[in-house]
Order: sequence, then structure tokens, then C-alpha cells
Amino acid sequence: MIERRDEELSHIYRDAEGPRPPQRVDDNILAASQRVASTVRRPAGFGFSRRWGTPVALAATVLVTFTLALMVFERQSGLDAIAPKAPGAVRPAKVSPAEATRASPAEPKRAEALVRSPVVEPQRADSLQKSPSVALPHAAPAQAAPSPQAAPRSDKVKAPTVETALSGERRATGQPARVPAIPPGVEILRKSEEAKPLPDAQRVFEAQQPIRPAQAPAAAPAPGVNTLRESASAVQGAVSGPASRVAVSEAKEREKWLADIRKLKTDGKATEAERELAEFKKRYPDYILPEDLR
Amino acid sequence: MRIEASDEELMLRYGRGDARAFELLYRRHRLPLYRFLLRQVGNAATAEELFQDLWMRVVNSRGRYEARAKFTSWVYAIAHNRLMDFYRGNGRASFLSHEESESVLEDTPAAELAADLRLDRKRAVERLLAALVELPDAQREAFLLQQEGEMSIEQIAAATGVGPETAKSRLRYAVAKLRASLGKES
Repeated sequence: MIERRDEELSHIYRDAEGPRPPQRVDDNILAASQRVASTVRRPAGFGFSRRWGTPVALAATVLVTFTLALMVFERQSGLDAIAPKAPGAVRPAKVSPAEATRASPAEPKRAEALVRSPVVEPQRADSLQKSPSVALPHAAPAQAAPSPQAAPRSDKVKAPTVETALSGERRATGQPARVPAIPPGVEILRKSEEAKPLPDAQRVFEAQQPIRPAQAPAAAPAPGVNTLRESASAVQGAVSGPASRVAVSEAKEREKWLADIRKLKTDGKATEAERELAEFKKRYPDYILPEDLR
Repeated sequence: MRIEASDEELMLRYGRGDARAFELLYRRHRLPLYRFLLRQVGNAATAEELFQDLWMRVVNSRGRYEARAKFTSWVYAIAHNRLMDFYRGNGRASFLSHEESESVLEDTPAAELAADLRLDRKRAVERLLAALVELPDAQREAFLLQQEGEMSIEQIAAATGVGPETAKSRLRYAVAKLRASLGKES
């Protein structure tokens, strides 16, 4: 429904000289349009964020990642540096090679890796090899034949206690586990020691103490000591305060053991009695046996 | 051969911040729009004011513009609304109350252009413009929308907010009266 244009009328109308808007009106309108367009193109901070947003985000990511990696690395290095220096008898120490090899069958590779990690942690490996506990001859059989008995995880920071020493003893002698082998007094001491954490300052001090190979074994026998006597004396040496209580407990333990041997003899189990007696003598070589058991 | 961007495309580009697109659009429509307003209000100062206000509305509508209709329909609709405001503000109610009479239109014979005006274009233009001023506002608007905006009946109807028949009637009245003015011997 398009109305046909009156072409003649249109021509006459177009012949009319068309008025024009003044130049200032044109300028005003165009200036306003450009002002508005510039605000459309660049809202507040848009240009900056578009130009620098991605690089800044990438830089921040890299920085955070690097910082975290550095922190982890430093923390790891710090632990490695502290571990070999810590006094072994009373305070928790890093895993010793003997313990590592005593780990459960699922762990031998890890234990080996701990011992054979000269590339990653040469300082640590070196320290471990120089450790008195490694130098002990009893560690060798333990390495050769890892016990099937479930041992605590080697990667845990573990305190070498009398209990661990006794387990080494049991393996060495081939005897079934003897519950009385852990002197009650020593157990009490161990628990009290675990329950009472050292102050941080003291811990740091201990961690910073250099190991002196000549003094360390005497002052604090390392883990891996295989005799009860050594373990008990280590505990006694480390904890001098309640030494009398330890001595009383040991005496009671001895008496109980001797009573058991007497009972075996009375029951006619001479072989077992002999074996127990031999073990007793081995453990308490200085102890003077009663007349009936000599 | 370079194809010129359509009005709608230019307006959309301006909505995205292309100031150059607006300038092209403005250059394309400034004269017809200005003439449309000037011939409607008959006063240059008022026409300038309305013209500037019209384009400011275009500028401010850049984000809301959608190319659903032709740009010319949209922009002349804005001009029409602005004129309505102006008429209301000045008490010019003739535009709103004017009613076309189809019977009167049908009775009016198609005027022939006077022979002397065919030769004297200048006089013809003067007579046409004088007759244009005498037209009722709605009829003049319809004629100007057709001439300046190059709009069809439907587009005129859409821009002025009336039905196509009303728009057609207005246009026919305007043309008939203008032709009649040109056919008379002065």
C-alpha cells in the first residue's frame, strides 16, 4: 500500500534551497556524541584491567607458586638439618637406617630410598651414616632380615625407646616377645616423657646441638641398641632424676624373672629354665645369682 | 566498490563506542531532519533547539537501540514525539484535533500545475513552501516525512503513531492542497 509519490511536487520541493543547521549546533552534537562514545569505550578502569589483567594474574600466580615451593623446600631442608642433630635417646629423631630397614615389608623400598638418597639429600644421608646407631653391629642382621612383625611406620618421627630396643632384642635372640622385658619403670618414664613436651626454646636448643661422636653414645645411646641393659642405662643416663625409681623397678623385674625360672625348675622344665637363666645372666651379668639357681 | 554501511549498522556501531559511525549517521540525516523540524515549527531558533535535543536523545539511546525497524522510522518517531511535546507546551492543539474528511478530499479535483509555474521553478517553490505552511500540522508532517524522510505510508504511520489509513489520508490531503496551490494563478 505504497502511495505513489507526486514526482512533480517532489521536484519542486527539492528545488527549494534547504536551510542548514548552524555549525555550532553540528559541533555541539558531534562533541557530545564523541564524549559519550569515549565513555562507552573506556569505562572506569576497563582499559587498565583489559591491558594488564592477564599479565598481573600470571605474575601473581607465578609468585605465589614460587613462594610456596620455596617455603616447602626450606621447611624440608630445615627438618633434614635438624633430624640428624637431635639427641637420639630421649628426644624424637628422624628415622635411622636401622629403623627404616625394620619397617614393615611394604616399606622396604622407602627405607632403602632413605638410606640411598645421596643425590637428593646428601647431607642427610651422610649424617645418618655417621650416626652411632648405624655403626652398631646389631643393625646389620636387622637390615638383612626385616621383621615381619608390624613395626611403626618408618616415616613417622619416632622416639627410640626401651620398647624399640627390646623388640630388637627379641629379634636377635629369636625369643617370643617377653612382656616383662619392658621394665615398668621405664614404661612409666617413657609415657611421662611423651606426655610432657619440651618447651620450644629447649627443643630448638637441642636441635642445634652438634653431634659429637665421642660423646653422643655415652651421653645418649642411639636407637638400635639391642640389649636391655644398654637401653635401660640409656634411659637412666638420659633421665637422671627418677633413676632410683628405675632401679627399684629393675630389681622387681629381676626378682620376678628369677621366680619364674625357679617355677620352671620346680615344674621339671629344666631346659627352659636353663635357657631363661642364660638369658638372665646375659642381661644382668653383674647380678649375683641366688644359691639355688647357680 | 565500497558498500556503505546502513543506518542501522552505524547506529549499532555507535552503541559499541564508535564515534565515527555516529558522525557518518549525523552527516547523512542532519539536513532532512533539520528541514523537517524547521518547516514544522517555522522558527529557526526553535528548530535548532528541537534539532539538538533530538540528536541528544539519539546519543543517549545508543545503548538501547535495536535494529528492529529502519533507523529513519525510529529517528523521525523521536522527532514526532518531540514536536508533540512542543505543540502541547505552546498550546497548539490544531495538530491533535485535526480530522481529515475523506469526502472533502474526494470532492477536490486533482489540480494541474499552472503552465507558467512549469517554466518558473523559483516561483513554484515559493508557492509550494507558502502552501506548506498553510497546511494543517498533521498533513504537513505526513508530506515532510515522505519528502525528507523518504518514508512510505506504513513508515509514516509508524512514526506518527497512527494507522496506515490515517497516514495515507493525511498525505493525500497534503498533496492535493499543495497541488491546488500551485495550480492557481496568482
